[in-house]
Amino acid sequence: MSNIIDPLGEAGLAFYSKVSASISHEIKNSLAVLNESAGYLEDVTLMAKKGMKVDMERLQSLAGTMLKQVQRSNFIVNNMNRLAHSLDDPASQVDLNVLLELMINLSERTTVTRGFKVSVAFFDTALTITTHPFFLKNLIWLILDFAMNITDDAKKIELLPAKLESGAKISFTGLGKLTESTFKDFLSEPVLRILSLLNCTLQPDDGKGIITLNLPEKITQPSQ
Amino acid sequence: MTDKVLIVDDEQDFLTIISDRLTARDMNVSTASSAKDAIKKIETESFDAVVLDLMMPEMDGLETLKIMKEKNPDLQVILLTGHATVEKGIEAMKLGAMDLIEKPADLTTIVERIKRAKAEKIILVEKKSEKRIRDILTRKGW
Repeated sequence: MSNIIDPLGEAGLAFYSKVSASISHEIKNSLAVLNESAGYLEDVTLMAKKGMKVDMERLQSLAGTMLKQVQRSNFIVNNMNRLAHSLDDPASQVDLNVLLELMINLSERTTVTRGFKVSVAFFDTALTITTHPFFLKNLIWLILDFAMNITDDAKKIELLPAKLESGAKISFTGLGKLTESTFKDFLSEPVLRILSLLNCTLQPDDGKGIITLNLPEKITQPSQ
Repeated sequence: MTDKVLIVDDEQDFLTIISDRLTARDMNVSTASSAKDAIKKIETESFDAVVLDLMMPEMDGLETLKIMKEKNPDLQVILLTGHATVEKGIEAMKLGAMDLIEKPADLTTIVERIKRAKAEKIILVEKKSEKRIRDILTRKGW
């Protein structure tokens, strides 16, 4: 099987599947709250029919809860939709601030479940580059997954996007257990293929516990 | 006798509403929004059933189930999950879960499983008592 599946495609599918699983889980949680809310309204209606007093404040609070869950589901579906559309064009302009915000939202359930706090110190202005949006997201996902195995005990990862003369960079900080050997292990075939596709480099600094992803202003070979 | 149940889920809204609905059905409901909190509760209180979310931050449902069963092998645990894979379901049953319900679940199903859990617990307690009596009778030779 592994002979016929392209490693790049396999990595992309694995990423998309994991995000889909996490998102559908989130939606199920939201649906569970809405389901219980509808059930509660049914209970209240039955009680009111029997002449029992209805707690109007509780009903108002329930309406607020339901509205919050609808907004939450809508936010989750919008994020999924944005990820799905990142395959529309092999090279498009992206603002790294916006892309990283999306990645934090998409990976939140996974990172929080594993006990990690991932944050972004957004750059003051838009950080626009031309890249393959899907594979950049895929690469960030892979780096985050790797980063969670090598953080220090604080279990905090901060992403620092910044401008470079030739493009932009994203630093992944808080990786106290980063070593030359662990970094080498991370450079699997799919990672190397994505790095090549995006014309970018990954630079470890084990002394500081930082991995920096250097991205060009524009990719030169957008499709493979 | 009211059924005493502990609901464990990191979704606070879910906890509040399901707790209200089960209380309205004459159940004595306690809630915990984390695995650690739930483990503390089962150490100090006795429950007829624990309804436990499978996916929670820091410690997942299966790990929590394992610890709970180590602390109290007779505890009746019903797992609640957004997505139940066959593997997870088998693992949960191997670890001693009584049942696995997929979210969003019908409250009638949850109530029915809690009642079943309580019945199972009563059978276990009766069996233990019977064994204790037999042991005493054998030892004393009456």
